[in-house]
Amino acid sequence: MNERGISLSTHSTKILTRREFLSALYGWGFYVAIFISFLVSSLILRNFLQGIREDNIFISSYPLNFPLFVSMVIISLYLVIVSAVSISREKEQGTLEVLFYGPVSSSSFLLGKYFTDMLLYLIIAGFFSVYFFGVSLITNLGFTVALGKAIFVSIFIASCVISFGLFISSLTGKVRSSIVWLIGILIGFLVIWFFQNMFRGIPSEALSSWLIYVQRTLNVIYYFVNWVSPFSYLSRGMESIGVGSMRPFLLNILYSVVYTVVFLTASIYILKAKGVRA
Amino acid sequence: MKLKNLLLTCAALVFLTLTPQPGLTQEEKPAISLAPLLQEQLVYSFNVFDGKGWSGGFVPKSEDTIYLIANKDNALSAKKTLVYFWPITARYMAGWRTLNEDMQGTLEILKDGKLIDKLEKQDTVLSYPEGYWAEITLFYTAEEATEWHKRYKDAVDKYYEALSKFYEARAEYTRKMDEFFEQIRKRREAGEEGPLDIEIPREPEPPTGPDFYVTEPTRNYVINLPVGEYEIRLRADDGTIVEGSEKNLVVFTARRRGGVGYEIIPGNRWTAEEQCNDPADAIYAAGRNLLYFRPYQQDEYNELYHNKLLDPQNEGMKENWKWVHTQPLENVYLLFYSQDRLLERIDKRPYKVEQIPGAELGYNIVEFAPEYPGDKPTFEGQQLILSEELARKDYRIYLEDKEENTIISGSEREIRLAKKENVNFLYYLSFFPLIIGGIVFTFRRRKVKK
Repeated sequence: MNERGISLSTHSTKILTRREFLSALYGWGFYVAIFISFLVSSLILRNFLQGIREDNIFISSYPLNFPLFVSMVIISLYLVIVSAVSISREKEQGTLEVLFYGPVSSSSFLLGKYFTDMLLYLIIAGFFSVYFFGVSLITNLGFTVALGKAIFVSIFIASCVISFGLFISSLTGKVRSSIVWLIGILIGFLVIWFFQNMFRGIPSEALSSWLIYVQRTLNVIYYFVNWVSPFSYLSRGMESIGVGSMRPFLLNILYSVVYTVVFLTASIYILKAKGVRA
Repeated sequence: MKLKNLLLTCAALVFLTLTPQPGLTQEEKPAISLAPLLQEQLVYSFNVFDGKGWSGGFVPKSEDTIYLIANKDNALSAKKTLVYFWPITARYMAGWRTLNEDMQGTLEILKDGKLIDKLEKQDTVLSYPEGYWAEITLFYTAEEATEWHKRYKDAVDKYYEALSKFYEARAEYTRKMDEFFEQIRKRREAGEEGPLDIEIPREPEPPTGPDFYVTEPTRNYVINLPVGEYEIRLRADDGTIVEGSEKNLVVFTARRRGGVGYEIIPGNRWTAEEQCNDPADAIYAAGRNLLYFRPYQQDEYNELYHNKLLDPQNEGMKENWKWVHTQPLENVYLLFYSQDRLLERIDKRPYKVEQIPGAELGYNIVEFAPEYPGDKPTFEGQQLILSEELARKDYRIYLEDKEENTIISGSEREIRLAKKENVNFLYYLSFFPLIIGGIVFTFRRRKVKK
């Protein structure tokens, strides 16, 4: 691509980002998703505070990290659905075909979508900071450095979630199929995680031979799911803060960046290969 | 087609698994038996340094790695025993009473496949200088082991000798007491009145037993290695490697040393102590609290390695770290601060838990004052009262060295008084994004109208 081509591509990415970003910002869905995540966090925090019985103590390093984790899960679900339907909706409505007659390429289009969602997440991260600071003032639960780190690492996890959603969207042609695939895959991840955890607690001696086979197969599948599911990055990111060591924290950020690059690149190639029609 | 076949096979398998066996009625079904299936195994029994003292256990065949702390003496011994799986605890257990055969030979230590050391068995003992139930354990090897055991045996012999003399003296005392009462009776009967000038026999004092304990010497391989990964194997006297004796050896050390941890005994549930070990830990308190602090020195170890060291069948996360209390911190004051202002300097005191008389449950924790010889306090600690009237919501505690008057590094902890009364305001805070959304929406509508 020549210099003019790159400049055009960058320009179209910027325009797409701006258009999508403002559209999301002026809609209610964005605020409702944050509201729901905060409502659930408030419920957890209320239970936590009521768990400190009268005339009693509770020892914790990061009491606000778990509510943040739950908020992140809800916001990730919102982001992954928004990303997953974004391309297929444009395909279904035919706007993608129109766009691609202009100076819009697969990469500029996808990057536009990615940056839009990332900008939205940065605003969400701002909301998180304000909310948890407010929680700290109201309840006296400490707004710790670890919480700041958790909010920072959540930006990279959001990046994984968004690129995963875009990847699903690039694979499908219609909004309905995007959502069905997404829900199917997420339920699949959940089922594998659930059964792997269930089997992990049972020693091989207590299992029949074919259940041992199932256990081993699940372990192998889980190993791969652990690298593919964006929610694994979320739980690992939160764990890395709890561990208190910088190495897993930085490693998780690095893995998230690699994950984003791999999934965005794959999405661009799939979009190119499958074309713009639904 | 292939997928269809696969699905049919899976369905058939599920059907076969769920279908009950034909021909077996309820009465004919065998009763559940939990008689363990014993299997002869070569295992390693150990007494290893756990960061505080020495603790024992065994490594079954299922575990291929032994974990040790670096630069400390650890006793290892290869044994043949009967191992069984106990499903209730999901652990392998050793039937030492049925079979406990010491394996003879030389223990070889290898690093990167090269033989670096050969160990022969030597005598080892565990010594408990403050008694078997106290916290301190020491480990002695070779001549020192024999010497300490002899010292203990001598102390025990001396005690029994003294006890024998005591019983004789006690018998003599009983006899003298009988004579004493007889004399009194006779003189009173003879008409004597007033105080009688008869010497009262003195009761003999029972001897006290040895205040320390040393185990019987056992012959073990003593391993003391720097940090690293090794392999071990047992070479029999005929020169062959004993089957099943090859194990990996992970020798690790503490990541951080000399930290300060606290055991906190809440006054309202003194048997359920809390741990406040991580320097990032904050103590959240509600209402009025009476807390007793017991500070400890602690080292931080890898959770997986340390859990496996205590019991090779334990689990843990390699990414996690855990604090291990090494010894109580004596000669310190607990300082209670509000911002930069010292509110209280608290010294350690002994306390006794006294049950409330009557059928009702309840107890009082009172400062200990011995009521009879040998009376001991329930626990010792620094008492901190967190009253509801405390003006601020954030406090800090530190430890101060009594001799040097300096704050002990790593002893700082935050105490936060949780505002439970504000808990419902959290819901109002959740509406904050909707308010922002409303503002943006209104702003957008006005802009569009213009």
